[in-house]
Amino acid sequence: MSLDVRRPLKLPYYQAMTNPETQPTKATPRGSLACVGLGMTLGSHLTPLARSHIAQADVVFAGLSDGIVEMWLQRMHPDVRSLQSYYQEGKSRLTTYRQWVELMMAEVRAGKRVCGVFYGHPGIFAWAPHKVIEAARAEGYAAHMEPGISAEDCLYADLGIDPGRFGCQHFEASQLLLFERRIDPTGYLVLWQVGLVGDRSLARFQTGPAYRQVLVELLSEHYPLDHEVIVYRAATLPIQQPGIRRVALRDLPNIELPAEETVILPPAETLKPNLAIQARLAALDAQEKAGMPA
Amino acid sequence: MTDTMDWLEAIGQDATLRHAPADELNSTLEAAEASEALMAAVASGDSSWLAQEFGKRVMHVTQSSQTFPEGDEPEREDEGEPLDPAEPQKGAASPKG
Repeated sequence: MSLDVRRPLKLPYYQAMTNPETQPTKATPRGSLACVGLGMTLGSHLTPLARSHIAQADVVFAGLSDGIVEMWLQRMHPDVRSLQSYYQEGKSRLTTYRQWVELMMAEVRAGKRVCGVFYGHPGIFAWAPHKVIEAARAEGYAAHMEPGISAEDCLYADLGIDPGRFGCQHFEASQLLLFERRIDPTGYLVLWQVGLVGDRSLARFQTGPAYRQVLVELLSEHYPLDHEVIVYRAATLPIQQPGIRRVALRDLPNIELPAEETVILPPAETLKPNLAIQARLAALDAQEKAGMPA
Repeated sequence: MTDTMDWLEAIGQDATLRHAPADELNSTLEAAEASEALMAAVASGDSSWLAQEFGKRVMHVTQSSQTFPEGDEPEREDEGEPLDPAEPQKGAASPKG
């Protein structure tokens, strides 16, 4: 089956991939694909299995966040092709990502073992790796995603946040503005891509303070304006420290906010006991204690 | 002699070096005759010194377009654009996971 990668699949957006990985058979075409994560920090996060996928590939495509990291990857393989040059101000990123998918699929169809290497985790906030795997599997090729250490993983370690403690919501910042989402101020709130919040074109690299002010006004419905928010950036080189700044919510539009930084809002309210459910569970406990399995 | 890229990889993989204070790390680097740029970057905490060796390159890091649920993305005039890459643009980057 052929898949036109220029057009988005018309799956409901909440639906996960419908063609899961299967073991290759004699009928599986020769080309193959692996999308792997390089992690966030040079030298520290690359897994042995991801390194093996890179080493065993015929061609490697690189979607990385740091030029030095890309040079490091070039030492691991003689044919590393950067995807950077497909970005362009004013050009929809969707167009760029579809080009990436086509580039990788062309090599898979040519019978090559293709490895797409992406910074962090290849499946988190990354459109092309999911799509190219879906496209490859739809055409019968073996395709696999290998996880990497993500910016999200790093922020939990660097900020001492356990998402299980109060719960943790993650939103792409523009999506939070453009759609009616339910913010829960009793848990952590992590906002990604705040540096270009409000960009409806998918074609800008940055938006200005007025756009961030709209975000602050939305958040102020749930958080006091003096609520401390954390601005975070993971280290990409091992001689760097993670970037951690704390500012009041009201000041978010007025600070310099390089777009590679992530904004975290700690909980503003305490958890409220659900007394009705607790009473129901207590009744079930009492039932079991009386010898009647619930 | 170990070059700067080898040093970066070694620092990233070694628990002592990765978490060493800057002056201690630089003592190690100096004894091994590491580059001036690397030692300046370590001493200052400013990795832009490494541009002296690797050059300066602005990287775009946005890899997500999930603002809009799939199928609801804005239509663009550049939809049918060919695969020729454009010249790299200067600008900010934004994060993925």
